[in-house]
Amino acid sequence: MTAVQAPAAARPTPVKRGPLRATARLLRLELRRNAMLWMLPVAIGLFWFTAYRKAVAIPPLWNLRAASMQIGALLAFVCPVVGAAAWMGSRESRRHTTDLVTITARPRWVRQLATWAATTCWAIVGYLGCVAALYGVTAQQAAWGGPLWWPAAVAAASLPALSALGFAAGTLIPSRFTPPVATVAAFFVLALSTQLIVGSQSYWQISPVVTGPWDMTPDAGVGTFYPYLPDLPIAQVMFLTGLTIAVLGAVALPGGSGGGWLRRPAAAVTMAGLVAAGTAVALAGTGTMDAHGMIAIPALHDAANDRPLRYTPVCSHTAIPVCLNPAYASYLPTAATALAPVLSEVAGLPGAPVRISQAAATYRQGIGNSVGIGLPGPPISGTPPVFRLLLPSQLPGPTMTTSELAAAVRSSTGFALVASVIGDNAGATRAQQAVTAALSMSAGLPQSSPAAPTRQRPNATVPLPAPVQSAARRFAALPASARHSWLMQHLAALRAGRIALAQLP
Amino acid sequence: MNIEITGLTRRFGRTMAVAGVDLQAGPGVFGLLGPNGAGKTSLLRMMATAIRPTSGTLRLLGRDPGSYGPRREIRRRLGYLPQNLGYYPGFTVAEFVEYFALLKEVPAAQVPAAVAVAIERVELGGKAKTKLRALSGGMLRRVGVAQAIVNEPELLLLDEPTAGLDPEQRVAFRALLRDLGLRATVVVSTHLVEDVGAACTQVALMDRGKIVFHGTPNDLTARGEGYGTGDAPLERGYSAVLAEARS
Repeated sequence: MTAVQAPAAARPTPVKRGPLRATARLLRLELRRNAMLWMLPVAIGLFWFTAYRKAVAIPPLWNLRAASMQIGALLAFVCPVVGAAAWMGSRESRRHTTDLVTITARPRWVRQLATWAATTCWAIVGYLGCVAALYGVTAQQAAWGGPLWWPAAVAAASLPALSALGFAAGTLIPSRFTPPVATVAAFFVLALSTQLIVGSQSYWQISPVVTGPWDMTPDAGVGTFYPYLPDLPIAQVMFLTGLTIAVLGAVALPGGSGGGWLRRPAAAVTMAGLVAAGTAVALAGTGTMDAHGMIAIPALHDAANDRPLRYTPVCSHTAIPVCLNPAYASYLPTAATALAPVLSEVAGLPGAPVRISQAAATYRQGIGNSVGIGLPGPPISGTPPVFRLLLPSQLPGPTMTTSELAAAVRSSTGFALVASVIGDNAGATRAQQAVTAALSMSAGLPQSSPAAPTRQRPNATVPLPAPVQSAARRFAALPASARHSWLMQHLAALRAGRIALAQLP
Repeated sequence: MNIEITGLTRRFGRTMAVAGVDLQAGPGVFGLLGPNGAGKTSLLRMMATAIRPTSGTLRLLGRDPGSYGPRREIRRRLGYLPQNLGYYPGFTVAEFVEYFALLKEVPAAQVPAAVAVAIERVELGGKAKTKLRALSGGMLRRVGVAQAIVNEPELLLLDEPTAGLDPEQRVAFRALLRDLGLRATVVVSTHLVEDVGAACTQVALMDRGKIVFHGTPNDLTARGEGYGTGDAPLERGYSAVLAEARS
């Protein structure tokens, strides 16, 4: 140590302290030495293991991938972020620097905000990298549509809130045990926050892991035919932002954080944050599931989002064209091949559809958390008639292989199509049942209860009486041209119920 | 006067750590001596605005630290080295000193130069980029001194600053103290009376929360004449004053 060799630094001038530049330098220091930096590989690894692999295994539909990403990213980041934030929050006490930093001029709140901001910055950088990876892959795979940013925004808004909560825990209870305890608590609070959701009108929908009506797994049909509703994400972002502001404001309230000039605005900020968060919770409580399977909040709802999305369908070159939403273009060959035998049987018959067109499902809230999904009316409608198709993969459920999808389409849509053309519905005559069964046999449709996983239940599972089965086998044994010409002549009478079983050839 | 203390007390529960201290100090190096538990650290922490007095008046650099605005102004011109230096092991020497320069609101444009000067003054220029976890106890002590002087304080409070320093470093440190004392009030709490003898212009001796002696090192030496306990004249003065205070 020397008293003479080094020149004394110029005494700080009382003015022009460059607060922004100083804050930037402080933030740079904190960024360089932040625990979150070391937790990033953990968070990204967890995301890859628990979210990314699952997300890329599901069909490349933006809505599915976005919903999967929102939930997966949150659950992957919650532990590293809360843990790192709590660790940083308790740093001064753990490292016995409390006296050293207390006697400095910069208000404690500013110092703490810099530490929190650095932790949050790293968390968001890691998260954005994960989003970029998943959305980048999806952009290459998806046939139609674009990224859904609201789910990404909800998860992004969660990180500052989680970081603030962890940081506040570390600040208020500065112990080595605080980070692990806060981490475990945050994970369970987040994971269990949905357990109290009953029906679509629940305050708990504010939980950032809720992407739509709860207990309805991410549904490929949602957000494809109608715009993705931002109502719930807006409320969630509002809640998370309010929570972040309230927690950070509350950190400035204890004595020693700063002077009255700082604590009074901090109290006001805390109140504003609580009001915002409370309002968001109240709004989420008014949300109900709409007919398109999304949560609509009246106060936030934009009626323009109720209009269907415009798209040019992709169609097959079969006897009757099968047309799908372009988002499902990859399903077209499978669906068209599966339906081709049926389409050959019914093509050209009076009342047969001119097109098989994929339709949007309609959603109804059932008792508790159950959701009813189906077509809003009869499968065939319009002039000229169009058969509305609900692809099994539009419905919530496990992801299907190509062969499973083909089997499901054949057993559900194929039989429904034949039954619709023949008029085989509730109260059908035995002759109608026999002709439907005969055409199904000819088209290679399953005659017993289908094993394929489908929730669109056809009436193909009803066991037919022996005389009906006998007539069906007889009719099916006819050459295709004979069947077709007989149907051309007699289909109107058959549909009207004027043909008896014995009259079938 | 940079330090004006009247009837200052500080109580921790039932323990009266500082029991009515009156003290005034201007620029120069002020030594604070006393046995363990005498109240030196508590008095220093009050002067550092780390804790509030239980009663009495305290004015630092002509301001009352009781209210926020003046306290903040005092803190800009204050340097403090606590007895047990806490530090962040992952920070480098330069980062740690820069961190405190920024917290002390050294103007941002002056921070790099101030940090470099402070590190040079404690002779750690070659270790500026070394992480604190890799430093020895003596080097850490010097890092603590560097962070205390990075803002060129007008009031510098050092609690056991030479603990852990080797004899060569201690000599250099005394020179630094004398240099700092030309412009600022430096209060050094220590057990090592030779530090006081070599660097201090004024000395106070505390015992059981009170100041039992206040004068120059020579005055203290004079009080020990003819007293048998102690190897050095200043130590004999120290022992004589304590014995007198306790009798």
